[in-house]
Amino acid sequence: MADGTQVRIPLSQLARGQRAVVECAALDALPIDHKCLLAAMGLGESCQVRVCRPGSPCIVQVDQTRLGLPRSLADKIFVTPLDGGT
Amino acid sequence: MTPRAVTSRVPRIALLGNPNTGKSTLYNRLCGLRTKTANFPGSTTEHQVGRCAIGPGADAEIIDLPGIYSLVLEIPESRLCRDCLEGKIGDGRPDAALVVLDANNLPRHLQFAASALRRGIPTVVAINMIDTAKRRGLSLDEHAASMELGVPVVAVSARSGEGIDRLREALAGVTAPDAARPLPRLPLPDTEIGSSAAVRWAAEVFGTIASHPRTDDEDGRTLRDRLDDAFTHPVAGILVFAVAMVCLFAAIYWLAQFPMDAVDGTFAWLASGVEAIVPPGVLQDLLVHGVVGGVAATVVFLPQIVLLFFLLSLLEDSGYLARAAFAVDRVMRRVGLPGQAFMPLLSAHACALPAIMSTRLIPNPRDRLATILVCPFMSCSARVPVYVLLISLLFVGEPLLAGLAFTGCYALGAIAALGTAKILRVTTLRGPSTPMVLELPEYRLPSVRTAVGVAIERGLLFLRSAGSVILSIAIVMWWLSAYPKAEADPRSESLRQQAAAHSATDPSRAEGLEGEATRLDARRQQAESFAGRLGSAFEPIFAPIGLDRQLTVAVLTSFLAREVFTTTVFVLAGAGDDARVDQPSTLDALKHSQRDDGTPVFTTATAASLLVFYVLAMQCLPTLVVVARETGSWRWPLAQLAYMSLLAYFAAWLTFRCLA
Repeated sequence: MADGTQVRIPLSQLARGQRAVVECAALDALPIDHKCLLAAMGLGESCQVRVCRPGSPCIVQVDQTRLGLPRSLADKIFVTPLDGGT
Repeated sequence: MTPRAVTSRVPRIALLGNPNTGKSTLYNRLCGLRTKTANFPGSTTEHQVGRCAIGPGADAEIIDLPGIYSLVLEIPESRLCRDCLEGKIGDGRPDAALVVLDANNLPRHLQFAASALRRGIPTVVAINMIDTAKRRGLSLDEHAASMELGVPVVAVSARSGEGIDRLREALAGVTAPDAARPLPRLPLPDTEIGSSAAVRWAAEVFGTIASHPRTDDEDGRTLRDRLDDAFTHPVAGILVFAVAMVCLFAAIYWLAQFPMDAVDGTFAWLASGVEAIVPPGVLQDLLVHGVVGGVAATVVFLPQIVLLFFLLSLLEDSGYLARAAFAVDRVMRRVGLPGQAFMPLLSAHACALPAIMSTRLIPNPRDRLATILVCPFMSCSARVPVYVLLISLLFVGEPLLAGLAFTGCYALGAIAALGTAKILRVTTLRGPSTPMVLELPEYRLPSVRTAVGVAIERGLLFLRSAGSVILSIAIVMWWLSAYPKAEADPRSESLRQQAAAHSATDPSRAEGLEGEATRLDARRQQAESFAGRLGSAFEPIFAPIGLDRQLTVAVLTSFLAREVFTTTVFVLAGAGDDARVDQPSTLDALKHSQRDDGTPVFTTATAASLLVFYVLAMQCLPTLVVVARETGSWRWPLAQLAYMSLLAYFAAWLTFRCLA
């Protein structure tokens, strides 16, 4: 970012191939059971994700795990983009 | 407990792991066919228990727990695993745990292993799919892994069998009587899976025990990306799914007909064998029509059930099914059901029983219950003979209209199912659905061995859960229809005498007279049996939808299984119980059959009303039994029976009023 601040955007707004880091408080907006399930599936705080397919379902890769999420859920997960997508 | 009892008891090992780790494949590899479905004592929750050889003459009992992502989640599967490990259900704490990890996903799976190890049970860790991980460049140091985790670690490939013998040895080691030693204090993270501390710990351990594999985290689109795009696309995804399902059900219909014919033939042979051995009378009647007939009515569904689960397991193992669930999710959400509900609803077109059993794939209990409750609306294969019979009566010589009516029956069933699902989700089963988050496993060649294991397990479960109750009720229904024995109709005696007189000169006339005599006797038996008396008692209830006493008996006796309706009306019409719908003489006999007052049994309004009734009514005892089994109580199946019966009755009444 030009001004040095990092922009937090919903996961659903990332482009195909774009990488981002899930923020620590990014999952706080979710009900606790959704948050725990996502974390147990690998989508936890500070993890790095890559978008394989934007839209619904939003398919992301976390390490070697590929997860499909409905767009409604991806809208509520805030991430900090690391690079541009394709 | 005496020391001898302790040493002679077969050790119990809990099998734990994430979904998609090849846990079922490993279970099948370890136990083979030595497996059974059991309930935890005092609970209705089923699980698989298998015997696994862990040394010469030594066995262990493997408890196959459901695949879970975490032991602390407040979902039924996680709770079950926790309770099992803590000894709250079953026969106390298991003697050991076997934790299965995916070698391709070790950093995340190591966190799961840590949470399991914190439970303090002697444990063996199996790192599965080591063959594919090696191909991707993973190099694993088992010894280092054992040192880091403080428990035996064995790299295995459940699919190829690599490492299985060493795994058996490790299991023998931790379950040996002298192996009860405290676990070493390990620097396991105190926090749960996904926390920063757990992620850091797992990364450190992974760095120590394995070399990093090549990742497929490339920037370009991989083949997997392209397939994911196609299979989850709103249009292409649905089209691919439709083609896959057509192939699946065509294969089931085509392949199942051979074993079904064999089952039919076997039971017919058995019945004739009993008739040859047991002298005519009550016992023969009971054995042939009650016991053999009742068992045959259940077992005939078995080929479809086994085939469906075999093919579904292949699809699931290939990785496709998780993508297909997303393709249909957006459609299903509109009626309040998740994407995972589509497969059970579709398979209910073959038979509701395996469909209801396959709803276990749906994680949210409300979603699952709603799906179970609407599955029986889908037109199953047992409805087809009834549809064919009634549509043939309605549209004689009009194949186009008959085809449309047939399609209409299927559409009416589907509309009723989806409409009911919507009603349930805004009333009784109100509440948010869990958003469908699914791990999309890698595409791979499915394991036939696992599919066979799943098919056998589900087939045995079906026979065990449905067979005993169905057999009992089949015997009751037989008794109600067969007793008290009515005297022969006085007119049949004279008809038989006439038939005997014509037998030499005019055989076809003699056959007709004999048939008429049989019909009269059957009608008299139907009228005077307990079922017939029930028919008379219930006739006023069914009269508003156009049914007379005979059709009321046919509807009541088909409560056990709806296809019984066709047999009953054939007998009433004197066509014999081996008559077929596609025989013109049978249809002719039915069209000309008369009520007690001489009016036709089947009018357009009556046939249409009955058709609508059979599209919507439950009329399937096995389904009720399986719903009770799956929901853990008789409350839901009884409510389902009442709702479907009332809806069917009202729709049939409306149809009859419009056409009469």
